[in-house]
Amino acid sequence: MFSVLATILVPFAVSFCLFHSVAQGPNLLPVLSTFILAPFLAALLVMIAPEKFARWISLGAASFVLGLGVKLFLCYQTAVSGFQFVEEIPWLKNLGISYILGVDGMSTLMVLLVTCVYFAGALISWNISLRRKEYFVLFSLLVSGVAGAYESLDLFFFFLFYEFAVLPMYLLVGIWGTGRKEYAAMKLTVYLLAGSAFMLVGFLAIYFTSNVHTFDIRALSDLSATGLSVSFQNTWFPLLFVGFGVISALFPFHTWSPDGYGSAPTAASMLHAGVLKSLGGYSIIRVALPLMPDGAKHWLPYLAILALINMLYAAIVALKQTDFKYVIAYSSVSHCGTILFGICTLEAAGLNGAVIQTFSHGIVAAMTFALVGTVYGKAHTRELAKLGGLSKCMPVLGALFVAAAMANVGLPGLSGFVGEFLVFLGSYQSGFRGGFSIFQALFPIGVLAIVLTAIYYLRLVQMVFFGPVKDPHLNEEVKDGSFIEILPIAFLLIVSLLVGLYPKPFVDMSNLSIAPLIDHIGGFK
Amino acid sequence: MIQVQAFLPELWLVSAAFLVIIADLFQKSTSSKTVVKGIAVLGVVGALLSLCCISGCGSCPISACCSAVAGNVPTAFGGFLKTDALSVFFKVIILLATLFTLLISFRFFKANPTPYLTEFIAVLLFSAAGASALTSAQEIITLYVALETLTISSYLLASFMKKDKASNEAGMKYLLLGAFSSALLLFGFSYLYGFTGTTVISEIGKVLATQVASPLLTLSVIMIVAGLAFKISLAPFHMWTPDVYEGAPTPVTAFLSVASKTAGFAAFVRLFWVGLSVPALQPTWIALFAVLAVISIILGNLEALPQRNIKRLMAYSSIAQAGYISTGFLAGGQLGLTAVLFYMFVYLFANMGVFLAITIVAAKTGSEQIEDYAGMWKRSPLIGIMLLVGLLSLAGVPPFAGFSGKWYLFGAAISKGYTWIALVGMIFSVVSLYYYLQVARQALISAPKDDSPIELSWVENAVLVICVLFIVTLGFWPTPIMQIAQTAATSLFN
Repeated sequence: MFSVLATILVPFAVSFCLFHSVAQGPNLLPVLSTFILAPFLAALLVMIAPEKFARWISLGAASFVLGLGVKLFLCYQTAVSGFQFVEEIPWLKNLGISYILGVDGMSTLMVLLVTCVYFAGALISWNISLRRKEYFVLFSLLVSGVAGAYESLDLFFFFLFYEFAVLPMYLLVGIWGTGRKEYAAMKLTVYLLAGSAFMLVGFLAIYFTSNVHTFDIRALSDLSATGLSVSFQNTWFPLLFVGFGVISALFPFHTWSPDGYGSAPTAASMLHAGVLKSLGGYSIIRVALPLMPDGAKHWLPYLAILALINMLYAAIVALKQTDFKYVIAYSSVSHCGTILFGICTLEAAGLNGAVIQTFSHGIVAAMTFALVGTVYGKAHTRELAKLGGLSKCMPVLGALFVAAAMANVGLPGLSGFVGEFLVFLGSYQSGFRGGFSIFQALFPIGVLAIVLTAIYYLRLVQMVFFGPVKDPHLNEEVKDGSFIEILPIAFLLIVSLLVGLYPKPFVDMSNLSIAPLIDHIGGFK
Repeated sequence: MIQVQAFLPELWLVSAAFLVIIADLFQKSTSSKTVVKGIAVLGVVGALLSLCCISGCGSCPISACCSAVAGNVPTAFGGFLKTDALSVFFKVIILLATLFTLLISFRFFKANPTPYLTEFIAVLLFSAAGASALTSAQEIITLYVALETLTISSYLLASFMKKDKASNEAGMKYLLLGAFSSALLLFGFSYLYGFTGTTVISEIGKVLATQVASPLLTLSVIMIVAGLAFKISLAPFHMWTPDVYEGAPTPVTAFLSVASKTAGFAAFVRLFWVGLSVPALQPTWIALFAVLAVISIILGNLEALPQRNIKRLMAYSSIAQAGYISTGFLAGGQLGLTAVLFYMFVYLFANMGVFLAITIVAAKTGSEQIEDYAGMWKRSPLIGIMLLVGLLSLAGVPPFAGFSGKWYLFGAAISKGYTWIALVGMIFSVVSLYYYLQVARQALISAPKDDSPIELSWVENAVLVICVLFIVTLGFWPTPIMQIAQTAATSLFN
């Protein structure tokens, strides 16, 4: 236990001290590239080091990156806002491609999210024994890709990093998964890449249609310079929205998600549900909205209906599941609907809500999947028909699960509440402040989803942890979580509490990106 | 004046071919023929190095291209052969492909002993010489002769396994259909000559520029397209591909899929973007190519889905790949041709690496069925990684080089307004992912049926590692090769 704590604390402290805000002078390291390179180097190191060191290297790298993430959050200068820590290297000049990294308020939050989930994931994978070396290589590569996607300010590199993350996911699900793993892995990969096919063609169309001839998102966001016509925007906005939406499990392209999460190994579900899936909503805010505001205004009221179906439909399906993990998977789909719905409102509150909800969903989904994985590891079944009264034999995990369920439901005090509240505030404003009346109709239906979420989560808590013991033999063998299993879950719970109890710094941070964006687009009016 | 530099690589190849035959007389038929193999490899390496001397400056191919652009273009036979930067680039691909093919064939014939190894090597070198000469040809008769040198040798190579029915069938099929397509091509050429009174490609362009479109001229263009499309297996002229790829010895399949295809595209580029790039004809053949490209992408990818034999799968995959490359080709201009060149270069490493892996596995297990690749991660991790990296590069998944390649190909198409072709291409790339991943799944996920490890020689290890590294590096950092490709593409328009 001591050595584990040392592996966590030492790299954390090192990275925490390693860099400081840009205003205080240049840093020793290119900060943002380090988020990509550290997991990548960890992967290389795991590849050449003996197998027994694999998990230690991985955990060390994760703690190191976590330290960086926390420090980045603290060092981001809210007074200046805009993109900070920018790194720029020209790549292919004749095609306008450059390696540009930079973070603003929103992406700082997302990077922090990635590092938190990476850290928790490394801990939860501690007892992986099958092909351990390869597992940690792929796991680290996955993080490397996701971090890159959140930091990229160039469409080419955004795309490259995103797909770079999909490939390890395929192997993680295929090799270490459970159930119909090969089917799920293939389905997940094909869906995600089909979505990205639209993204790629869309990016290229933007590049060749605009007048600025660059893939730099900052330059492309200036509509007066790019000169993208309204008809172009109206054609491409929905295609890009759907392309990004597939990543976020937008209805009707969501079916990869429950199968994928149902089969994936715990840490892969955590990373996918927590950070990779959030990339969809994030990139709509980062790319689709600023580049094509007119298209957005034209289409978002209709796309809001899809998001609403996401929320409700997935919640209803979650009610009927018989597999513990599938309930969580559908709940994650439903929450992503909330995020997309928040974006569709085109109100500052709604978009801020979407960002906070993305962060919160990342943390909470990762926590819930970690819990399900741990329970499954002990009970060896996920069938609700067999699980019952578990909180007697695993009181700590039971308590943590109740907390996780409450965070999912949106209990005030936990992170889920902040995001959902802002999203519905936004949709209310959008509907009743003289905007599109369609939101007047949608808003109450959306709130219904919260009720459904409460129903299926309480049902889950009641069935699995409190109800009557269904299989006495199983309950006798099951033990409570060990220190190393509890640690990542408790860590995520603390983060969720932090956001829930004192959301101001997080919302402020998000608003640094959202307020200028809303000014730029101008809302529905 | 004849500048020998203009055909130096061909000279190396042909001399090596003759030397191989002579050297064989002094070797016992039962020996492992080390000398013969050595001469062949030296010949190809010499040809590659001779490309550096073409420009007479520096010692790397990069500088060769640069100075070729600067105007120092070696010419021979009254301008019939001209080795500009574009031909240098194509020649590098063809010669590297030949080198790979030789390495693959050494492994292949160790597992399938033949007394005629020398003949195989000699014919292969002649074939490479034809392909190489084709890239410099500035005149349609020279072009035709070079093309026939390539294809007639290929017929022999395809049917090389005398006792094997599949190989014989492959050779016969290839010969019959190939001869037909060559005739079609020649017929098209004859019309072209009749219209213009010249056989020099650039002159044809000048004469045609003043003419209006006529049905006969269009007919001749269609015949030329059909004849050449056969060589690069564009649908609907692809019928021979699966049978020949499956039946031919694996090294020959590898050679056909890369060298032959590169030569075909070289002919297309020269003929169409120099000779037929005139207002009267261009819309016609661009539309024609758009249709062929889309059919190839759709048919190739869909027909690959149910395949169980990996060589057959690669055949359909190569049809689809020809479709992707045609997308860049029909977009044309500097951007499009750069994309074509870059993609061909990437395609070389991906395909050759995969075929080397196929040969090694087949030599050990005697099977080309995809399910027999199960558990490669345990039997030979390097082969598993090669299959994953190579096939996913062909599918165009980042961070592998095929992704950058497709980005440029489809970018070029979109820049000319063919967004719909790019969209079809991307959607079917996702379809292709399904069958490529089936192989990767067997190799990396499934449990092995047979645990015995597969031994690799150091050369094979090195070649596989180089292929993997190249594909990954070019995915992240395509800049240097892109620049060379750009220089090469520019040289066509000077």
